[in-house]
Amino acid sequence: MSMTEREQRTLEAARVHRARDRRLRTRDLALSILAPIVLVVLWELCARLLIIDPRFFPPPTRILAAGAEMLGSGELWEHTGPTLMRLLVGGGLGAITGIVVGLLMGSSRALNAALGPLFSALYPLPKIAIFPILLMIFGPTELPKIIAVFITTFFVMQISTVAGVWAIDRKLLEAGAAYGATGFARFRFVILPGAMPFVFSGLKTATGTAVVVVTAVEFTGASTTGLGYLIWNSWQLFIPEKLYVGLLVIGIIGAVLTALLSRSEKLLLPWRRGT
Amino acid sequence: MPAADQATVVAEGVSKVFFSGGEPVWALEDFSLSLEPGSFTCIVGPSGCGKSTFLRILGGLEERTVGEVTMTGADHPVPAAFVFQEHGVFPWMTVLDNVAFGLRMTGVGKRERLATARDWLARVRLTGFADAYPHQLSGGMRQRLAIARAFATGSPVLLMDEPLGALDAQTRMLMQEELIALWEQERKTVLMVTHDIDEAIILSDRVIVMSGRPGTVREDITVPFERPRSFDIERSPDFGELRSRIWNLLRDDVRTAEETA
Repeated sequence: MSMTEREQRTLEAARVHRARDRRLRTRDLALSILAPIVLVVLWELCARLLIIDPRFFPPPTRILAAGAEMLGSGELWEHTGPTLMRLLVGGGLGAITGIVVGLLMGSSRALNAALGPLFSALYPLPKIAIFPILLMIFGPTELPKIIAVFITTFFVMQISTVAGVWAIDRKLLEAGAAYGATGFARFRFVILPGAMPFVFSGLKTATGTAVVVVTAVEFTGASTTGLGYLIWNSWQLFIPEKLYVGLLVIGIIGAVLTALLSRSEKLLLPWRRGT
Repeated sequence: MPAADQATVVAEGVSKVFFSGGEPVWALEDFSLSLEPGSFTCIVGPSGCGKSTFLRILGGLEERTVGEVTMTGADHPVPAAFVFQEHGVFPWMTVLDNVAFGLRMTGVGKRERLATARDWLARVRLTGFADAYPHQLSGGMRQRLAIARAFATGSPVLLMDEPLGALDAQTRMLMQEELIALWEQERKTVLMVTHDIDEAIILSDRVIVMSGRPGTVREDITVPFERPRSFDIERSPDFGELRSRIWNLLRDDVRTAEETA
């Protein structure tokens, strides 16, 4: 079957449109990569030409050199290790506990009545403000730092998870009931998957907050390790390159954790794709 | 159809009263209805007449204030399977798992329930979508899925709350045809709530016309058309007559409901 000339002309026009759409997409991608590179190059030039004060804004190459040196001497890991440990242990345990408590509160009316108002009252309390109490109780050890991260993560996750359970479409809860899902089956097949989208958005929020809290806790005199300490100490000794290295690494940790969460959300919740 | 697979549904003197700001609201008053085994019954009525409430009471989704509901003639783990208007299928389960859900909840083994589910997917023409998720389906496909899930439980009673209400007019007609065909093969005891008078006549053996709030039975109409049915009956004079009879019964209550809402 051969195409008429008219059909061929139409197809040709459609191809031209498609090619233009593709070109625009490639351009957008290129721009999104180029823009930050241009900014960094500009920073480098301005710092070297003394347009900006290199004492406050050392050129990126000097920051990277300092970072490489600290990596070689082991100094960088000396600070990154403890921060990561506090984040992962405190945050991990806090997230698990928060999700479990949130699920229980979301599915038990009595438990939510008992704990809901209490947790809501405690939530706005700045967690960092109770750090001195933790220090008083546990002394200047790892424990108060881990607990500070734990509490932060716990509250975010507990609140997100309860919200997630409540956000489940009533029709779906009824569908579960109508088809005989009671007790654990209701939990396993309806409540848990239904709350997952909120759990994941909570995890992303919690990661950001936990990074802030761990840095703040390390700023205090109670810490002689950690990226927060590195940043604070570099300021006091006025070594701006090291300060920026600390900033860079804590930024990378936050970005990597968030990316990992996004990745696992895509893997674990395939039914969310395209919605 | 073996008789053991069929059930009689009897509701006697069911009332539902709830309080709205101290004032009692009668959603249903002394409502009685009994369904013959293997019959298809539709309830039509003005908005807020309590027809959905009654269906939900039968399905165990809502408590009745007083009254008796009994289902006899069948001993099935799912006494009545419910079909919701929309969003009733689980977005986190694949199409196949959704259809198999009722069987899974009643403890049917994996091999058997998946085989039954696949069979039902074929009957609603969704075989190619077994591993898809509901968001990947069109509205009509999602309702076919919801209907397949209800039939797949093997329950002798199906309760449908405006199952086609969210579909566009043409998809809806197509689905009505498919629903007639499925039901005529299975002969479950079906109670369906609908707003659509034509739909009620085409699908059912009997149409219950309800009054406005508090809902009571205004008229119990037997639909005379032979089975198997097709849309051809729409062209018969009897169809037009039945439709205007039902509309005349409803008109005043619909107006009242519209103006007091």
